[in-house]
Amino acid sequence: MSIRLVRAEVLKLSTRRGLIVASLLLTVVATVAIELILVLLHATNPAKHRIVGGINHFNDGLYSLTQLATIAAVLVGATAGAGDLAAGFFRSLVVTGRPRASLFGARIPGGLLVVLPLTAAAYVVLALFSFVVPGGAATPSTTLLVEAGLWFELYIAVMFLLALGLASLLGSRATQIGILAGLQLLVTPLVQGLHSPGVGAESVLGLALWRLAPKEILGGAPPGHLGESLVAAFVVIGAWMALALGLGAWRTVTRDA
Amino acid sequence: MTDVVETAGLTKRFGESTVVSGVDLRVPRGTAFGYLGPNGAGKTTLIRMLLGLIRPSGGTMRLLGRPVPAQRREALARVGAIVDEPRFHGHMTGRQNLWALAAAREPETHDRVDGALERVGLLARADDRVSKYSLGMRQRLGIAACLLADPELLILDEPMNGLDPAGMLEVRELIRSLVDEGRTVVLSSHLLDEVERTCDAIAIVDRGRVVLQGRLDDLRNGSTAVLRVDCSEPARAAVLLRLRADVARVREEEDQLVLELTAGDPRAESAAIAHVVLDAGFELYRLQLDHDSLEERFLELTTRLGAAA
Repeated sequence: MSIRLVRAEVLKLSTRRGLIVASLLLTVVATVAIELILVLLHATNPAKHRIVGGINHFNDGLYSLTQLATIAAVLVGATAGAGDLAAGFFRSLVVTGRPRASLFGARIPGGLLVVLPLTAAAYVVLALFSFVVPGGAATPSTTLLVEAGLWFELYIAVMFLLALGLASLLGSRATQIGILAGLQLLVTPLVQGLHSPGVGAESVLGLALWRLAPKEILGGAPPGHLGESLVAAFVVIGAWMALALGLGAWRTVTRDA
Repeated sequence: MTDVVETAGLTKRFGESTVVSGVDLRVPRGTAFGYLGPNGAGKTTLIRMLLGLIRPSGGTMRLLGRPVPAQRREALARVGAIVDEPRFHGHMTGRQNLWALAAAREPETHDRVDGALERVGLLARADDRVSKYSLGMRQRLGIAACLLADPELLILDEPMNGLDPAGMLEVRELIRSLVDEGRTVVLSSHLLDEVERTCDAIAIVDRGRVVLQGRLDDLRNGSTAVLRVDCSEPARAAVLLRLRADVARVREEEDQLVLELTAGDPRAESAAIAHVVLDAGFELYRLQLDHDSLEERFLELTTRLGAAA
């Protein structure tokens, strides 16, 4: 893996103002805005809005943040996967003689280096606000904050990789974002209905990811879950990653440039 | 002199259509080589195969003496290329785009970025976003990208497209300066005039086949001498001149006679023909000796354009 190629990927993504602004809005800005509104509501009517912080608030906030940050991860993943192709830059990269698999491989750490700090910052904001006005409720322990933070970043990384693989396969940001949005908005509710009440808010991949979440935060998760084993969850996640990244890498290597 | 590009029987088919058909190409080192053909002749497809952008259907290729695709990476390390119009990330500056390309090459490439920008006259605009560049500036940025490799071979696909006359002159001079440094430049173009002005050797391609290749001087020397005779009573003069052994063909064009001369000394033959015309009592208004231009040979050889002409 060439560090210079990874830095080039970071450069390509981080200089896209629209992408960075949208990702910030979906993560840090959205979290700050929601928490500030809750604090203001508490300040104006403490009797009605008694608690801002505490573990339940943290759990609910983490679920919302996961949904929003997933969209940011999809945007960054789609851009990392299809940006060179859309700009006509992929051809220039191939002409350097650098193996295409290496070009594909650099997109993974490059994109993660862009999306994970953004989502981590939003998570830190959420964690801090869980201590603001707990109103007598228990606050998240340090262990829970670390475990939940690692799980959250894993969730985002998986969603980023899924988007990256699909975008590299399809060569189109718009198509790929449409497919994932369709999964999120149409397929998921359908699956939820089929398995009601024991299904998470997303696809099977989402369920497997929620299975890995610390037990303390499952209260903030979608109602119910399939109760699959940890092994099954890892297998599901691994299969999705292998499929998406494998197809993305294959298409990058074989695509006519 | 070694050949930097060698192909044998190179073929590319897309379904039923054969776009490149059995091309045997040899590009001598240290020359500006024109790959000349009408639009749709298969020029870009051949370049894309050479660079490993698409897979050939048949035949073999060598770049800088290395077989490709077997040693593609080693071969392309010293090759710079523009295929179609050069395209970059519009949201990044010219310098950032070159950094991103340099990252895909060996480490020292990064240090060549500013030098390449300066050489193509873009250093002052290097920190502007590429989306604000004109087409001519993007062409120059494309050439700068080629220079990052410190290339022995540059392959430029229609580099004059979209350039104004001043821009074309700049690119032409840049190509010549690169050749003067001992580099080889393969210039794909449908612009005959540009190829004649820029190149030392050419291959003419039509419908996927190379129909002629060689050094320009040799091709010009092998061309037919044409004598244009503007005289009184051209139809009667034509009858007289058709009898001469040193005249291969006579045709009338706009009240002039156009004579194709047989191999020999065209100047001496022209003088002799002038005497014959005057001695026969015709008025001689003008006599002009030409050679078939490369354009005429191009039109003659490329069947599609020939049929359209």
